[in-house]
Amino acid sequence: MFDSIKNKDTFVHNVNPVTKIIAAAALFVIVVFTHNPNTLLYFVCIMAILLFTLSGIQWRYLCILLGVILVSGLLSSTYMILYGKGDTTLFKLGIIHVTEESFIRGIHITMRGVILSLFGALVIFTLKITDVFYALMIHFKIKSKYAYSFMAAINMIPLIFSEYVQLRRARKVRAPLIDKKRISGFKGLRMTIVTLMSQSIRRAYRLGIAMESKGFSDNQRTYYRQTTFSFNDIFFVITILIALLISSYLGINYPIFNTSDAR
Amino acid sequence: MKNSNVLTLTDVLITVVIALVFAVLYSLWDGVYTVLQPLGLHINELVYGMWFIAAIVAYLIIRKPGVALLAEFAAASGETIVLLQFDIVLIMYGLLQGLACEIIFLLYRYNSTKLYVAVLAGVAAALSTIPLDWYYGYLGHLETWNLMLMLIFRIISGAIVAGWLGHKLYEGVKGTGVLKYVGKKQSDSSDGF
Repeated sequence: MFDSIKNKDTFVHNVNPVTKIIAAAALFVIVVFTHNPNTLLYFVCIMAILLFTLSGIQWRYLCILLGVILVSGLLSSTYMILYGKGDTTLFKLGIIHVTEESFIRGIHITMRGVILSLFGALVIFTLKITDVFYALMIHFKIKSKYAYSFMAAINMIPLIFSEYVQLRRARKVRAPLIDKKRISGFKGLRMTIVTLMSQSIRRAYRLGIAMESKGFSDNQRTYYRQTTFSFNDIFFVITILIALLISSYLGINYPIFNTSDAR
Repeated sequence: MKNSNVLTLTDVLITVVIALVFAVLYSLWDGVYTVLQPLGLHINELVYGMWFIAAIVAYLIIRKPGVALLAEFAAASGETIVLLQFDIVLIMYGLLQGLACEIIFLLYRYNSTKLYVAVLAGVAAALSTIPLDWYYGYLGHLETWNLMLMLIFRIISGAIVAGWLGHKLYEGVKGTGVLKYVGKKQSDSSDGF
């Protein structure tokens, strides 16, 4: 999927998709229970290094991505920076009240989002989405009706997109003839979604019947594609654990913020 | 006849496809949400309800156990596929919101397609992620008025954007006639309030 901007494959490409998803979930829990902003800051840096070295994507694309992640992370925590509780005032204007505590807390929340986005980017750059469902079926005995439905539905996304584009064009052509309300605003939105959905439901129904008759909903299947667990998975987990250990060590011993608790 | 409450492959496929239509919409909606964020006044919370709508619409169409959860999960992970951005936070939130809707629908035995059930589910979904937000976003350390603003906006949004709009969309799709063969077989005439 990213072949045109990819330099090389790394060992992460061979890690089982299920390992990556479980690692992401574990990371989420760890990040939510980390209250030391110093640790998180070091972890952001290490995550960025991991993304640049292990994703195998050309660096200029990664730089753009990094910029986007940082900006959207900052935007999502403005509420805390501007209106958080705190004693040491940095800036006050009307209802806006930036304090040192709220500022650090805001940055902390930003960093949480950034870490998870960076890891998410590493995962998505090294993942084949169909492999996720095969891995879930083979190793976790997810019923095949779920896995195949997802895989079939994913292949419909381009169709949904092109239908949407077609719909827009059709309405543009007819714009002078029909009521404006049906093009823009709420009615337009509703019409768009209803049209897209009814088309998709009809298509999904037909496909579903066809797949059922071919036995895709049975669970007794053998698989042409295989996914396996290997040493790569262990390396991957160990890498993340080491990253966590280094950042918590640095965070405790070489603090950058003058507080060790963002709360 | 088979147990009418068990999901067949067709049900699952329709649910996932509905969810993915919304995933495309969510990806566009993401822009709206981000643009509304900078003031920090939680205006973005007013559009937050859009993120529960997939569960509600899918339930109204199929009316079987597990559909709301599946739809929310598919919509959240669908954003991963559409935006090519794997966001574990999103998936966790999606699962919680789906679960909250599921509980409301369970209380009505997966039969009712009335408007107030959809609105209730929207409100439940809006409330469901607050504990997680509390930890993740340190909501307890926010000025009280700002916190109240956020909660009120979010509940309103859950009720109106997810519940009411979701029900409207369901009625719209039903009007096209494609639901004749879809979902639970028994017909019900409980579409009013």
